[in-house]
Amino acid sequence: MSDTVAAKPLPRTSFLRGLRLSRHRGLLIAIAVFAALFLFADLISPGPISYFEVSYLSSGGATLAIAAVGETFVILSGGFDLSAGAVISLVNVVLASNYAMGDPDAGLFFWTLVGIGIGTITGAFNGFFVAFLRLQPIVVTLSTMFIVQGVTLLIMDKPGGFVAPSLGIYVGDAITEWLPMPIVLLGVVILFWLWLKGTRFGTAIYAVGSDPDAARSAGVRSSWVLFFVYVLAGGFYGLAGTFISGQTGSADPLIGNPMLLQIFAAVVVGGTVLGGGRGGPVGSIFGAYILMMVVNILLVLNVSAYYSTIAEGLILILAVLAASVSSDSTLARQLRDARSRISAWRGGRLPGQIGTAVHRLSLAAREAGAKSSSPLPAFRVRHAETLRYALPAYICFVVVIVVTQAVLGNAAFNWTYYNSLIVLSSFLAILALGQGTVILTGGLDLSVPWTIALCGILLAGMVKGSDAALIYALPIVLVVGCLIGIVNGLGIVFLGLSPIVMTLATNGILQGLALIYSGGTPDGFSSPMLRAFMTSKIFGITPVVFFIAAFVVFAVVLLGRTPFGRRVYGIGNGLRVAELSGIRTGRTLVLVYMLSGLCAALVGILLTGFSGQASLGMGDEYLLPSIAVVVVGGALITGGRGHYLGMLGGVLLLTGLQTLLAGTTLPYATRAILFGLVVLGAVIALRDRRS
Amino acid sequence: MTIASKLVRYAAAGALCLGMAAAVSQPAQAQDEKYKVFLSMSYIGNDWQAEAANMVKAMAAHKSMADKVDLQVQVAGPNAQRQIQQINAMVQAGADAIVVFPISPTALNSVVKNACAKGVIVIAYDAEITDECAYNVSIDQEEAGRVTAEWLVEKLDGKGDIVVLTGVPGTSVDTLRTKAAKEVFAKHPDINIVGEAVGMWSQAVTRTELSKILATREWDDIDGLWLQVGCYTANAMQLEAGKTPEELLPCAGEGANGGRVQMLPIGTEVEGAASPYAPLGAPRISYASPPYSGGLALKLAVDKLDGKDVPKKTVLPLPIVTSETIKLCQEGTWQEMKDGCNAFLPSIVVNPGWFASIFSEETPEIGLNAALVGQPEL
Repeated sequence: MSDTVAAKPLPRTSFLRGLRLSRHRGLLIAIAVFAALFLFADLISPGPISYFEVSYLSSGGATLAIAAVGETFVILSGGFDLSAGAVISLVNVVLASNYAMGDPDAGLFFWTLVGIGIGTITGAFNGFFVAFLRLQPIVVTLSTMFIVQGVTLLIMDKPGGFVAPSLGIYVGDAITEWLPMPIVLLGVVILFWLWLKGTRFGTAIYAVGSDPDAARSAGVRSSWVLFFVYVLAGGFYGLAGTFISGQTGSADPLIGNPMLLQIFAAVVVGGTVLGGGRGGPVGSIFGAYILMMVVNILLVLNVSAYYSTIAEGLILILAVLAASVSSDSTLARQLRDARSRISAWRGGRLPGQIGTAVHRLSLAAREAGAKSSSPLPAFRVRHAETLRYALPAYICFVVVIVVTQAVLGNAAFNWTYYNSLIVLSSFLAILALGQGTVILTGGLDLSVPWTIALCGILLAGMVKGSDAALIYALPIVLVVGCLIGIVNGLGIVFLGLSPIVMTLATNGILQGLALIYSGGTPDGFSSPMLRAFMTSKIFGITPVVFFIAAFVVFAVVLLGRTPFGRRVYGIGNGLRVAELSGIRTGRTLVLVYMLSGLCAALVGILLTGFSGQASLGMGDEYLLPSIAVVVVGGALITGGRGHYLGMLGGVLLLTGLQTLLAGTTLPYATRAILFGLVVLGAVIALRDRRS
Repeated sequence: MTIASKLVRYAAAGALCLGMAAAVSQPAQAQDEKYKVFLSMSYIGNDWQAEAANMVKAMAAHKSMADKVDLQVQVAGPNAQRQIQQINAMVQAGADAIVVFPISPTALNSVVKNACAKGVIVIAYDAEITDECAYNVSIDQEEAGRVTAEWLVEKLDGKGDIVVLTGVPGTSVDTLRTKAAKEVFAKHPDINIVGEAVGMWSQAVTRTELSKILATREWDDIDGLWLQVGCYTANAMQLEAGKTPEELLPCAGEGANGGRVQMLPIGTEVEGAASPYAPLGAPRISYASPPYSGGLALKLAVDKLDGKDVPKKTVLPLPIVTSETIKLCQEGTWQEMKDGCNAFLPSIVVNPGWFASIFSEETPEIGLNAALVGQPEL
């Protein structure tokens, strides 16, 4: 931390020089961290590092590195690509399932082209919707992810098959006992990038990522640039899929899916800034190998498995912190702001740490009063926009009900159907407020899964079937949720970490805590009252339905009618503007993440009641849907736009759709494709038609 | 230490080529120091995985093993790439044997081949590694799917509407089980699958998915259930919906202890029981991929290191418990289980989703305490 403070004035003295230096520093620090880890690993492992080990290391991290290079292009352009892992799986199964049918003599070159070709096709699919229809990258690629996963499972429903043996060259030696092939491959990738960077297209990627409007004004055809960014990224995922095929010699339809978060981590650790414009693929390659070295070091040190996710989370934070210390003017500025904020807080009464509601409200009221000069029309405009973006989800939801009635019957006029739907929706409806508010500020909360799981496990462990224990267990768990959110918020506001990095790291740390607390097997179970709350019926209505009704009112009022809500929208529309108009952005952001933590804790409680017990992975299924419903409900992933009622529509739509699909006997692969198409269809309906 | 063991191995390998004299000296020398054995497991956030890991640890801690084996555990998460990397690192760290829960049966092939080439014994439990140099310990998944489906068809007299809940899509285990079961159902035209969902082998997901299916159906519209995991939850949901224990639907599913306890006749004295984790006389067939397979894998790996013959593929007998063969254990020692008990007291096994198929003739070293807390039998 002291380094950060010391290094800060540099970028300010010469802005241009600082920027250029910083771009290299991100990379240089990634290389330095990698080298340090490498030496450390050498130190603690018995014997010197041999060629064999270098060869293994290089092939072990190559898939991740290549995929991270692809992802880097997308992130540089200001986007986000969730389809990377799925494309790797798709290429893997296509290469394996066609080997037997294809020309057995076809060589490395042919199959590599096939792999890259498949990647570019999916990339073109993404690119078309993102660049030309101006859809939000995160939703487009989320849909693509589901569709590609479905197609992958249609091609191959279980692991097996063989790929062309010639692909094995990728994991062999380029020069025996001297140079492993993966390093050559990565060298080629780097050379390609150095060439690309010098072209107009290379410059345009940075231009579009830094400021799309400015790029357009400067004559960059930003749509085409974006399109080719996704195509290019797809090509790299394809290459990664080809590489992993060569590495494994056969196929597994699930091989790439869990790599997604690691790919992001690699890009971020490599010094590329989320949001676009700064960083580069070379750093991502080192980022990938840093992540890999960490695993090896943990193994050599024999760190208990329970602590490994905690260690990885901390390393992620430290690596990004180290890389961003001097590298990035925005982050440096945030740090400066943070410092002034801290000193302001020191002068004041540290209200954020006490966090009493009364205190907050009184402050809020005064600020609102001061701001009331902003005229009424803004409100009306916002209202019209809300309808425009919230309605499509509800329209689609009605369509789903009609189809359900037609296909399964017993839906549209059946209260049981709606009751089940609301109970099943309750988890996402609550998460939508937390995740939605975070997204409204332009952030993202990836710590939701393990906040849910940890809170559920804590609750079940404390309650152990006793209703009386709920009296203290419920508040404790909710406070834990808030604390998790506060940690996230503090990391984002005061350390200047990007929300994705901070919450991703928190998620890993929480996972470790949950494992340590539960010893690997959570015990305890929910009390009868909590179970009845989620599963019993009073005159055909489950009690939680009333709760959700109240929650929806609360959420709408919170976001629409309170100063807090207005500050959230203010921050989402422009952090700097919000700051200059007197919003205490830091405090508001911490509160936003606290709200998200609180909502996740609530979901953990309700899920424990619903299932009767808590389990370790119970939150995993809620991360991507929590983001999807917010966006399908009309919110803008970059913040500032969206209404809770729209998100609620998104929740109902997705839950209704899943209910419909569960009632059929369609295979999972088809369902995944349908699900992806519906999400895509919904956002096409929400398309921004301006310009 | 590792260098020494490497040298031992090189020496032994070289000597093997030369003559049999060295082959005798190898085990004798290896006894002097512990075998370095690694466990590479998959996702730890799962009762089955945790239980299997406990049983491996207990096996390593048993008095017959403790002075022979130095066990280190690593978790790869759900990521096959990371497991590849971990196994590589284990080989580099001088492993003598690697016990592995393979995240992907195919992705590990080349790394396993390399490990074998360096003289490391690789033995997989539960799921298989397809490379021929690997040792495998698992049940016959197709048999599991077939036997349970046949039981359900018989219970329904070959006629009725059933709901199917599968496992994790895209895995061999799920595909083989589901395919075998569906082949059985296809032979009986009067068996209709009216709802099918992905259960992810999780009680929590089971409840969500069954709730979705029941949004448009009544329990009375369904005659039977074939769930890879989730009969415990399905029974609980039926009780919540107002069914009496006598009306519970026949359910073919997993070996969770909650489900086992529900199979006990109504009125059985069970310490710690509370509905729905209580004897209900539920009509069930309960099967499982037994979590002891990891412990057995370790034992076989050590046998192999000791120079004994170990078959490349060990097919475990399918642990089947039906309402007719259910029997409550009081303590859960290996001896007690050998005498035929197969369900555990809720007062000891608090988590109903805990997998109860922990008995094997082959592993007298590990009993209930092994699975719960990693303590071996005395």
